Amino acid sequence: MFLTAAQILWEYREAFLKGLAVTLEMSAIIWSVGIVLGFTLGWLGATYRDSVGQVVRWTSFVLGGVPILVFLFWLHYPAQAMFNLVIDPFYTATFTFTVINVVAIAELVRGALMDFPQQYLTAAKVCGVPARQTFLRIQLPLLLRGVIPALLMLQIVMLHTTLFASLISVEEIFRIAQRINALIYKPVEIYTALGVFFLAVSLPVNGFALWFKARYTRDTSEN
Amino acid sequence: MLTATNLSKNYQGHKVLKGVSLSLKPGEITTVLGPSGSGKTTLLKLLSLLEAADAGSLMVDEKIYNFPWDDRGGAYPLVGPWPKLTVVFQQLFLWPHLTLRENILLPVLARGATEASVKKDLAELVDIMEMGEFLDRYPNQVSGGQKQRAALARAILLKPQYLLLDEITSALDVIQVAKIVELLPLLAKRGIGMVLVTHLLNFARKTADNVLYMENGAVVEEGARSILAKPKSKQLRAFLQAADKAS
Repeated sequence: MFLTAAQILWEYREAFLKGLAVTLEMSAIIWSVGIVLGFTLGWLGATYRDSVGQVVRWTSFVLGGVPILVFLFWLHYPAQAMFNLVIDPFYTATFTFTVINVVAIAELVRGALMDFPQQYLTAAKVCGVPARQTFLRIQLPLLLRGVIPALLMLQIVMLHTTLFASLISVEEIFRIAQRINALIYKPVEIYTALGVFFLAVSLPVNGFALWFKARYTRDTSEN
Repeated sequence: MLTATNLSKNYQGHKVLKGVSLSLKPGEITTVLGPSGSGKTTLLKLLSLLEAADAGSLMVDEKIYNFPWDDRGGAYPLVGPWPKLTVVFQQLFLWPHLTLRENILLPVLARGATEASVKKDLAELVDIMEMGEFLDRYPNQVSGGQKQRAALARAILLKPQYLLLDEITSALDVIQVAKIVELLPLLAKRGIGMVLVTHLLNFARKTADNVLYMENGAVVEEGARSILAKPKSKQLRAFLQAADKAS
């Protein structure tokens, strides 16, 4: 079976590579924009609690209550019809997943900042530690220890979510696999190969998250 | 000189501090005594400028802070007198991701000192406080007394002029209390003025230069440590009797 899967991958390598490129391009945009905007929005949300913070909180609540597929379809069909637009499904899917990622990261960062124990900052203040040093040496390391494992897991989920893009005809790897399967009908081999691909991408990220957690999130709880 | 004049504080309409005044010279130890809820910790928060008083004033050497805080002078407190005046809290607030050594060194290094320049002072503190064995452990890997010494060392290495100590011996056993109690007069000799909120009556009787007894947010009696031998107010007398009975 693995030989056949490898043979299929080799035979259709061009199509697979194109699909893989689309998936990775989409993921790269979702991850990079999500992390940059998500951290910024999360920080703004914690700083301006009554304005930006409320927007982040409610947007996260609303988006969390709507299935991703419904949101994607809504932006692809009715929204474009309403505004008389035709947008490349790649952009629609990337935009949808990026919005979800931005909001999820923002809420993660906002929550971590809001829950940050103020006594550590007070201790820094009375010890005369300058604000920049307080942020770099105390707040940021403690914050990252809390946020990074969850952030990495979220990015893996976002990678897996890109599969939904196939449903609005984005030529990403899952759609390519479906099309090849329609031609040669070898579902076991094709979807096994696809699973191996996702494992190959997810495992290092997952492994890094676990390593990071073990290395930097030493149990700091008091007895 | 640290001088507080008529400091008052309300929380949700409840007066927790009613016009408390206090003055502290470098090298002096003032002990604040009183039952729970008498406003001792609130007083330290106001003295350390971590919270703004509703009324009164505070003078730290030449710098005067008037209350209520005028926002035109900047958001409160824009620039405090830290670490010239610093606090060791009852809960200590050591940074959990750093070892005790890093906890002690971070403030001085962050303020521009080099490790070499504080090496001698650190070694001296480690020696006096007998911290050598556990200096490279994390806060949750050491006992309450060891954390206590590290928190004190962190404050002392900053060479403050005024040190506010909030019930720092409350969670310690008698041996650890004795170590801390021996250390405080040494700090006073170095010119550090201290305000000590404590239940350590014996320490106050032997070492304090001034004693402040508080109840319900107000100073009931104050004076030299001799007031503990001959209290004038019935409240202080009752407190001392209860404390002696308990010990």
